Amino acid sequence: MTAHSTPRLQVPEGWPAPRYDFAGNPVTSAGFALGRRLFYDPILSRDGSVACGSCHQQFAAFAHLDHRVSHGIGGVNGKRNTPGLFNLAWQPELMWDGSVHHLELQPVAPMSNPVEMGGSLALAVDKLRRDARYPELFAEAFGSPGVDSQRLLRALAQFTGTLVSADSRYDRFVEGKEAFTPQERDGLDLFRERCASCHREPLFTDFSYRNNGLDAAPRDAGRAVISGRDEDRGRFRVPSLRNIALTAPYMHDGRYDSLEQVLDHYSGGVQPSPTLDPSLAGGVPLSPDQRSALLIFLDTLTDESFIHDRRFAETHD
Amino acid sequence: MKNRMNLAARHLAAAWLLLLAGCGQGTAQGGLPLRIEISHVVGEAPLRLGDSYKTGAGDSWSAERLRYYLSNFRLRRADSTWFVNPQSADSSRGYFLVDEADAASKQFQIGPIPEGTYSGIEFLVGVDTARNGAGAQTGTLDPARGMFWTWNTGYIFFQFEGHSPQSSDGEHALTYHTGGGADSPARSVFLQFQTPVQVTADNSAELHLYADLSRLFDGAHALRPATMPTAMDPKASAEVADNSAGLFRIDHIHKLPKAGLAQGR
Ligand code: HEC
Ligand code: HEC
Repeated sequence: MTAHSTPRLQVPEGWPAPRYDFAGNPVTSAGFALGRRLFYDPILSRDGSVACGSCHQQFAAFAHLDHRVSHGIGGVNGKRNTPGLFNLAWQPELMWDGSVHHLELQPVAPMSNPVEMGGSLALAVDKLRRDARYPELFAEAFGSPGVDSQRLLRALAQFTGTLVSADSRYDRFVEGKEAFTPQERDGLDLFRERCASCHREPLFTDFSYRNNGLDAAPRDAGRAVISGRDEDRGRFRVPSLRNIALTAPYMHDGRYDSLEQVLDHYSGGVQPSPTLDPSLAGGVPLSPDQRSALLIFLDTLTDESFIHDRRFAETHD
Repeated sequence: MKNRMNLAARHLAAAWLLLLAGCGQGTAQGGLPLRIEISHVVGEAPLRLGDSYKTGAGDSWSAERLRYYLSNFRLRRADSTWFVNPQSADSSRGYFLVDEADAASKQFQIGPIPEGTYSGIEFLVGVDTARNGAGAQTGTLDPARGMFWTWNTGYIFFQFEGHSPQSSDGEHALTYHTGGGADSPARSVFLQFQTPVQVTADNSAELHLYADLSRLFDGAHALRPATMPTAMDPKASAEVADNSAGLFRIDHIHKLPKAGLAQGR
């Protein structure tokens, strides 16, 4: 594997500083390759049937296409929609409810979730130690023999943390490399006016937890489960909208299949509740022209080079 | 079975410490470690996993599993300054995982302690916020040890699992876990030494701590298995955390000559 095929975390112009600090876990070609191999290897699940990559598919910007909620070991359904994976190094917390506060520790959740990979961290480490190939790959990646959970988690973070998506048409427009059509431009203006207070550029999220009015009485308490505070009931992390055209279905429970349905929600379906974000009270009225402009704008957030980047693929060069 | 010191022996140890309390102050950063031994008791009797005990309110309980982290040890000097036990970002040094079922985990050392006179000890039941929020760790802090929450990432600071006929949970289970990041349930404990402890070039001390499980139920909060069979969410676990800090007391301290330390762990 050549050095140039190993991604590094480069901070695109105008972006904030990343939250995950690679200084403690320097990306190397062997470390990244190990992380990628682990990501696509079902060895991390109890019965060897489910890999990270089973739910997080590159062509869907690492979301799970057509699955409302995650679908794991033994075909059992989880309760939340699989989000896309990109620009994770910038996220202060992970998951819809922010339950995971560190990128390195995130994989412990799916690995030990009975409806995802059904195993445990200890079990996975044990399997990797007894594997014919992995001990050597770990030694190569970390410079000395030894398979332990820290190395497993750091290798995975070298893969997940370098998944950067910053080369959409929108990005090239912002950099002045490409022009927007008048309709795309209208869509962007409208987006900045109505949506960007939460879905803030350039990451298209302000990383806050909000209730965007899906239910009058939320079934999933969301952020409140983690914070223990009533005012967080029904609040979820504001998701990034990058690659949004690829990551259907939408919302924490995957209730909407299309972006048209999402706009129907914002324009006419916002449900009042005590924790509804005040900026959405009464909804966001949109004329038919405004709707199509917004949809056309959201399409410019698709990053084709990210989803076709061979370095992130299961079968790479 | 732990060999507990009787009252007379305790007084002897105290007298010995008094004798030492006038010696010169060492300046060396080196020094001997301080040994800490922990016994889990119910009142004065040793805790036995599976045995049934009664709370002040008349509820019955038994313990099947008892594990917790102790960290951030500090020793208070006679002049009110502190010796801070070293911890390292690269290892779990200074973070102790105490497990009733693992005898070796109930005896550990802090230090090396600079020579001097010490009047008390402070520690955290749990893991400090900075370390709890750091990435993948090793040693006692390896998340593969199972003292780690995945639904609300972070260490389980204190884990008590048992049974109570009064519990409404399945199989009358009693499950008290503290953890989580937002409002940290780590609790600080300070224990004053009855008599100052002197650490010299040749002598250190062994602190025998008792953690009294009766105080888990009859502590700062009265916990009733009928109304609280499970504590895991941040709100409920705050009460368990408060009580966990009240479990500890110093039973006795005795002299530990350099030679004795070498043969211990
Ligand atoms: C069974 C499907 C499934 C598997 C297998 C799976 N995930 Fe996920 N992943 C999900 C779901 C669902 C969520 C969102 C969970 C939530 O928010 O409660 C998620 C969330 C994430 C997130 C957080 C993304 C964000 O924006 O907050 C990361 C990172 C991630 N997964 C990485 C992994 C890794 C690494 C593995 C393998 C160790 C893995 N996943 C295995 C379904 C899965
Ligand atoms: C008050 C803050 C707020 C505003 C304003 C807002 N959103 Fe959202 N948006 C959210 C939150 C929070 C979610 C996640 C809700 C959930 O799943 O429970 C979300 C989810 C979405 C999703 C689904 C993302 C996914 O990955 O599933 C889309 C698409 C979306 N918003 C588009 C928009 C558009 C377009 C606008 C402007 C018309 C807008 N939002 C305005 C807070 C907001």
